[in-house]
Amino acid sequence: MIRIIAKLDVKPPFVIKPVHFEGLRKIGNSPELAKKYYEQGADEVMYIDIVSSLYQREIIFDEVEKTANELFIPFGVGGAVRSIDDFSKLFHIGADKVVINTYAVQDDPSIINKAAEIFGRQAVVVNIEAKKWDSHWECYTDCGRIQSGKDVLDWAKEAEERGAGEILLQSVDADGRNKGFDLELCKIIVDMVDIPVVVASGAGSLEDIKKVIEYAKPSGVAIASLLHYDKVTIQNIKAFLRDNNIKVSK
Amino acid sequence: MSSIIGIVNYGVTGNIHSIKKAVEKAGGKVLVINNHKEFGEVDKIILPGVGSYKDAMQELEKDNLLESLKTTTKPILGICLGMQILSTLGFEYGETKGLNLIQAEVKPILVDAKVPHVGFNTINVTNSNKVLDGLEQEEFYFMHSYEVVNYTDITSLTDYEGHSFVSSVQKHNLYGVQFHPEKSREAGIRLFRNFVDL
Repeated sequence: MIRIIAKLDVKPPFVIKPVHFEGLRKIGNSPELAKKYYEQGADEVMYIDIVSSLYQREIIFDEVEKTANELFIPFGVGGAVRSIDDFSKLFHIGADKVVINTYAVQDDPSIINKAAEIFGRQAVVVNIEAKKWDSHWECYTDCGRIQSGKDVLDWAKEAEERGAGEILLQSVDADGRNKGFDLELCKIIVDMVDIPVVVASGAGSLEDIKKVIEYAKPSGVAIASLLHYDKVTIQNIKAFLRDNNIKVSK
Repeated sequence: MSSIIGIVNYGVTGNIHSIKKAVEKAGGKVLVINNHKEFGEVDKIILPGVGSYKDAMQELEKDNLLESLKTTTKPILGICLGMQILSTLGFEYGETKGLNLIQAEVKPILVDAKVPHVGFNTINVTNSNKVLDGLEQEEFYFMHSYEVVNYTDITSLTDYEGHSFVSSVQKHNLYGVQFHPEKSREAGIRLFRNFVDL
């Protein structure tokens, strides 16, 4: 069954909608939106603080905890995670998975190994923000702002080998434009690693979601703006996929 | 019947917060158990677990909780890793002896598909009991890389990409579920209610 995940991009205390990871628009507050998507039948909620890493701020634990309290489904949290202690605190206040990008890419990739050994690999999600250059994709950090020099394919493989339990794959180019996923990128990464890949960035219609599932066969699809603007609900998405013979949960 | 549910707190890992919230929603009173003395104050026990088999056993030993878990006759509900460590032997980060309450070994999931197995999946109840009552054919959330290999105490099986694995077990006072009821919407709350009402 493919997972349909509601993704909240958060600039505490607001859920915002970045376009190309920039130009922020306020959507609402995270506990309310998380609850709304839970009630609509989301299989998971992902909370990504998209500003703290860039501004070197601490994670706003309070906001995470309030959001977790509304949910009886898995809850992934990311943004500004820099230490095993951050992982530990987030699990204690209700996160089931911790999402890491910038620190692992720029500072110390071995945090993936350490976290997997302590918390189990299923709890460690590596977020890849890919930007396409002529013939390859490069990893970006700090929500698509900083170029890292790392090749996306190499890094995805390395993250898996280090113990990541899942990859959240975002596209800096497609994000927030609602014009469809970077299908090639999604397919290459899904085929390359043996761990689940959740694809994000680009869903502008039900058809886009169906297309990426059929083409790339990811384990999950994370959806943000399509839901935020009430264009569709999780029920709409699931009903549409079911009608197209794609298995989803109730 | 009202009862006090003790959730065993051990180590740095733990989704105690989520389980507590779900048990309370199901009508149970919760006491977090940090040491063996507190076992006397509760009617039933939940053994959570997120992390590795090896770490979990080391932490239980360090906190002096092994004997209490092995000898109690109170109902125990093991969740995910909490179910796995009821077994004889685990193979995560080396070979580790488990609580040996259920004859089983815990091994990597053998499947030609993505591992960890993550997401909602259906349980096919083969041998129902009070905890699974009304939940036959329900969907629950799974998040695991290892599976319990057991032949004698199976209560449900689940299919993952053509591979059938044990998704729950029961033996006397021991109940184990590979999935996370605290992450499984209303079906999960129902399972906790069943456990509270045992």
